[in-house]
Amino acid sequence: MPASPGTRCAVVIEDDPDVRGLLVLMLKQLDFDVVEATNGLDGIQAVRESHAALVTLDLGLPDIDGLEVCRRLREFSDAYIMMLTARVDEITRLTGLDTGADDYVNKPFSLKEIQARIRAMLRRSRATPTVASDELFRAAEVQQSLLPKEAVMLDDYDVAGSFRPSRSVGGDFYDWYQTPEGLQITFADAMGKGMGAALIAATVRVVMRSVAGRAGIDSAFRAASASIAADLEQSGSFVTLFHARLTAATGRVSYIDAGHGLALHLATGGSVHRLPAAGPPVGVWDGQQWPAAEVDLAPGDSLVVVSDGVLDSFETLEDFMKHVEIAVRAQPTADLACQAVLDLAPADSAGDDVTALIVRRLGTDARQPAGG
Amino acid sequence: MQFSYEVKDSYTEVKGSGRLNLVAASKLREVVAEVVAAGSSRVAVNLEETVFMDSSGLGALIGCLKAARQAGGDLRISGVQPQVKMVLELTNMDRALTPYPTAEAAFSDD
Repeated sequence: MPASPGTRCAVVIEDDPDVRGLLVLMLKQLDFDVVEATNGLDGIQAVRESHAALVTLDLGLPDIDGLEVCRRLREFSDAYIMMLTARVDEITRLTGLDTGADDYVNKPFSLKEIQARIRAMLRRSRATPTVASDELFRAAEVQQSLLPKEAVMLDDYDVAGSFRPSRSVGGDFYDWYQTPEGLQITFADAMGKGMGAALIAATVRVVMRSVAGRAGIDSAFRAASASIAADLEQSGSFVTLFHARLTAATGRVSYIDAGHGLALHLATGGSVHRLPAAGPPVGVWDGQQWPAAEVDLAPGDSLVVVSDGVLDSFETLEDFMKHVEIAVRAQPTADLACQAVLDLAPADSAGDDVTALIVRRLGTDARQPAGG
Repeated sequence: MQFSYEVKDSYTEVKGSGRLNLVAASKLREVVAEVVAAGSSRVAVNLEETVFMDSSGLGALIGCLKAARQAGGDLRISGVQPQVKMVLELTNMDRALTPYPTAEAAFSDD
């Protein structure tokens, strides 16, 4: 139920029917379209569907606690979140945490006080035109549309990717396509945020797909990068790009890294090796060329490509590599491992997209039945 | 993040403190464009107090570097902090944007 132009939508997440009724009434007086939710999960869904501008959130909910609801809302919503709690001492504690909420109100509350706070919020947000949030919403749609929809069905390999957009929408994407020999993957991060970055990412995806049939990775990448660079020149932007071709039978991966630098090879034996970038991002210099390199995936090895949004949570590269390694090795499947890598970037501090892509060659003792 | 600049003998030093992100990136571009337009195409960006840089920030540095070179000069960076250094190395941009210890040292060799 997207809000019609000119009206704003608010979501009331509150299990107490009396309090809920009061809040709904009060918000309607302020000309909000109001959606009610009696628990956290329904509330999250309601905010997602309504693109709410305002959320009142009870801290004590029957299913998941208000802090968790807030954390999840912040993964996709910029709504003004007002947290309601029955305990005065809670407020002091909460304000010290980075919960993602914008305001805290003590129950029992005065309707006048809440209305005054919301009016103040509305005045402040007038500086941000709604066009901007529309644009971000469309950019998010563009970005979602770039991700591969079909799962990889490759004997002896487990391949998964995962992507969590930031509140401001960046330019991350990953893509894969199966080939007669195995698999091709592309992992890219376009500079900047918003619609511009999302559109650049869309262009890169199309161009990379268009060269998938070329025989050698070098000539394919040369053609693709020249075409992308020409597009980027006008926008003064660039893209970090990791592109790889896997020969399934041998486990050999040929890859080209243009300024990404965050692909890791996790060997069964316990070593972790970062594949360094062979040159700057695409779009920085005209006529740039990037040499291809190779890495062999033995049974049990993983290739892990991560975006810089995950790196931002760590002080050093070594620290980042260690945590990614631990997260990946602890999980039985590539999909769970991707989730674990994404979880390394706390949701509330993630100012950038976070993305992970994992190609795991199954060990001889861990082969799954085809399609499983 | 606010930027200021100071015209020195053979170069102009641009300075800013905080996080070089999307918002700061456009400010940096404006300041450097102003410096270059005023006739000083040798620009030293002092990053001593820049604790964080994202891809937009890197984009701004690259854009400014190109602007300075187009005007016949160069852009060099100094006082690079660990996170910024890491971003430069990962993206392989440390070759074009080589960190110097100080703004003074950045243009001392020519």
